[in-house]
Amino acid sequence: MNTSPAIRLSGLRKTFGSLTAVDGVDLTVNAGEVIALLGPNGAGKSTTIDLALGLARPTAGTAELFGGDPRAAIREGRVGAMLQGGALLPTLTVAESVALVASAHRHPLSVAEALERARCTEIAKRRVAKLSGGQMQRARFAVAVVSNPDLLFLDEPTAAMDVEARRTFWLSMREFTDQGRTVVFATHYLDEADAYADRIVMLARGRVVADGTPAEVKAVVSGRRIAATAGFAWTPEVAAALGALPGVRSVDQRNGRLTIVSDDSDATLRALLAAHDDLHDIEVTAHTMDDAFLALTESRDDATAPTPHTLSEGALR
Amino acid sequence: MSIAYLGRESLRQLKNMRAMIFTLAVPLVMLLAFGGTFGGRGQVDAVTHLPWIVVTTIQVSAYGGMMAALSQAFNIVTERSLGWNRQLRVTPLTGTGYLLSKLVAALALALLSIVVIVGVSIALYHPVLPAMSWMLACLAIWAGVVPFALLGILIGQFAKPEFAQPLFMAVFMGMAVLGGLWIPLQIFPAWVANVAQAVPSYWLNRVGQLGALQSGDALTPALVLTAWTLALGALIVWRYRRDAARG
Repeated sequence: MNTSPAIRLSGLRKTFGSLTAVDGVDLTVNAGEVIALLGPNGAGKSTTIDLALGLARPTAGTAELFGGDPRAAIREGRVGAMLQGGALLPTLTVAESVALVASAHRHPLSVAEALERARCTEIAKRRVAKLSGGQMQRARFAVAVVSNPDLLFLDEPTAAMDVEARRTFWLSMREFTDQGRTVVFATHYLDEADAYADRIVMLARGRVVADGTPAEVKAVVSGRRIAATAGFAWTPEVAAALGALPGVRSVDQRNGRLTIVSDDSDATLRALLAAHDDLHDIEVTAHTMDDAFLALTESRDDATAPTPHTLSEGALR
Repeated sequence: MSIAYLGRESLRQLKNMRAMIFTLAVPLVMLLAFGGTFGGRGQVDAVTHLPWIVVTTIQVSAYGGMMAALSQAFNIVTERSLGWNRQLRVTPLTGTGYLLSKLVAALALALLSIVVIVGVSIALYHPVLPAMSWMLACLAIWAGVVPFALLGILIGQFAKPEFAQPLFMAVFMGMAVLGGLWIPLQIFPAWVANVAQAVPSYWLNRVGQLGALQSGDALTPALVLTAWTLALGALIVWRYRRDAARG
């Protein structure tokens, strides 16, 4: 049996002119894993998927699927994908689309089977131009699984889906992964990543900023943010002292406005107020995922900010 | 290379009724207009010594075949803008295979177009010409359509969606007018007829006439059409390699 990992990305970089879309991604995905690539728009999720599939050439680094060239794995029909901006032909029916792609593969599933797996049987004869957003994604899923792949890339598969369509979609995804196959899906919904992935890889600005189990990554994303206007002077000593307060994960200051991300906002706030009586307009808000991304990326760019230290070993890269 | 895919792609395009009607409508209207005017009264063309209706039918068939082949440009541009070709890149189909599928589809559409036009002409105007001559005329035009299929593919590779329509029209009109597929070249100044000698559409019409005559100098048209085929093929390969290297 082939024991090579399903995906191995090493030192992967991709620049478009002056823009660096992917900036040194190392990632190994073992067969049978279900991975969420989590990140805001522009984090490099789609480019990473393109590079892994060999659809784009890396500026530096390598991408391997099943221990070899991605193209070889695709030729063998081991890889399926729902790509960003990979639409179907509007004049064809769903069944015709699946049949057309199946005819390009060497050992495809029967069209009926692929439609069945993607829950497309009842929309098989409908024209692609007439599909709703959710039906369209299901049709694209049918096209992606028609080669009976071992590895599936799904780039924001539930975009444009309502709640019910989303549930149905993940149901068919589950059936697919229950057979021990590997899935990589990109999303910017933490709840989706949490519910369906074994492992979450967070990307921001083209880099892996966190990689761990959903519990580990959720710990990064959770927490609260304390914001206040500071009446005192901002010095590195003050920053270090604030960073040492109980529960504090990161400290930032802009235009006299102080922002602290904390895992225990009650303890932090008590200590903070005890140390400083010249704070005004104090706000405590839930720390959003965007904040987490920002905190994780800024800590790498900005040497004065404290490094996030609450991630468990192995979760922080 | 998947033969099944090539077949399915051609079949899909043939079944696209709207596109087929669009492809066939103009040449059929031309045939009815010219044929109805000068129709079955058996006049003989002074230059080719073929019945006038045969000359017209061949001219319109060349026009129809050319249009069917060139229209691959739209298929490729549309598929590029939709991202369908990206989806196909996650299959064993190679880039070459994709382009080949378009060439095969172009030839399938062109053949259908030629056969329909000749068929309608025979049914309506009963032109006097041996069956063998019709066969040769159709085959010659069909073979001569290859450089136009390549030209359509090249436009498809180059053109941005918003630019495809005007570019297609410019190329198509130029080919139709300079090749004498719309209006006989005799009514133009002599220099136009000289320019026409370099244009593949002129020779596309000519090979059809030679097929119908079953005689004449086939070497010059063969050379010109082959030269166009090789040059366009080289451009397509160059463009394809450049795109692949950019990735």
